[in-house]
Amino acid sequence: MEVVEKRQEEICILGLLGRLDSNTSPGFEKKIFEVIGDGTKSLVVDFASLDYISSAGLRVLLKAAKELKRSDGKIVLCSMKDYIKEVFEIAGFVSLFPITSSVGDAVKEF
Amino acid sequence: MIADRVSLELKNSLSELDTLGQSLQQFGEALGVANKTLFQICLALEEIFSNIISYGYADDAVHWIKITISHEKGILTIRLEDDGIPFNPLWAQKPDCECPLEERKVGNLGIHLCKKVMDDMIYERFGNKNVLTLKKDIKNT
Repeated sequence: MEVVEKRQEEICILGLLGRLDSNTSPGFEKKIFEVIGDGTKSLVVDFASLDYISSAGLRVLLKAAKELKRSDGKIVLCSMKDYIKEVFEIAGFVSLFPITSSVGDAVKEF
Repeated sequence: MIADRVSLELKNSLSELDTLGQSLQQFGEALGVANKTLFQICLALEEIFSNIISYGYADDAVHWIKITISHEKGILTIRLEDDGIPFNPLWAQKPDCECPLEERKVGNLGIHLCKKVMDDMIYERFGNKNVLTLKKDIKNT
């Protein structure tokens, strides 16, 4: 699991590569909270190269979204594979996160 | 010849998750299971396995979790046996998936996901063992 950070003006884009599971989620949690702690309010998480997610990964995203909401920030998710999007639907997360089909569409959400 | 059964004994440690995932992947690929179905089975297995590790044991000792993955007539069956505290995941509270962000609880999702992606889930208690059987139809994949 790898997290690649990019900046587009005030928007931070975190690209996820590999598997977001019980073992790799703590590393992602550390990274996303570092970014939020540094004052980022507009965050895109790019799922294009993510092959797997479990509830451990969903948990980190939910915690981060709650934290950002308190500071009037927002997370937008993008480029999910269909079978991963289905997990978001089952978990009822599609009503909590804007989900777009590309990074380009995601940055327009801010 | 394609094996119709694989058995594993794993320690109660998250470091075993990769072994578990790889064994399932190999078994599923040999049977020609579609990627999406294999992903769902892997997800269900991780949720149950991590749940046993996190909540099953009151001591710090090493415990062994026995897992058997088998296939018969288009149905993939996974049997997990652990000596943790009695726990029937079918009784786990369903998370509220409708409420707004501020009220959403962090956690409690794993068993819900498992129930939704698998076709059947049976819990039994034998002596000091929890035995959970998960089933998934792999015929249409």
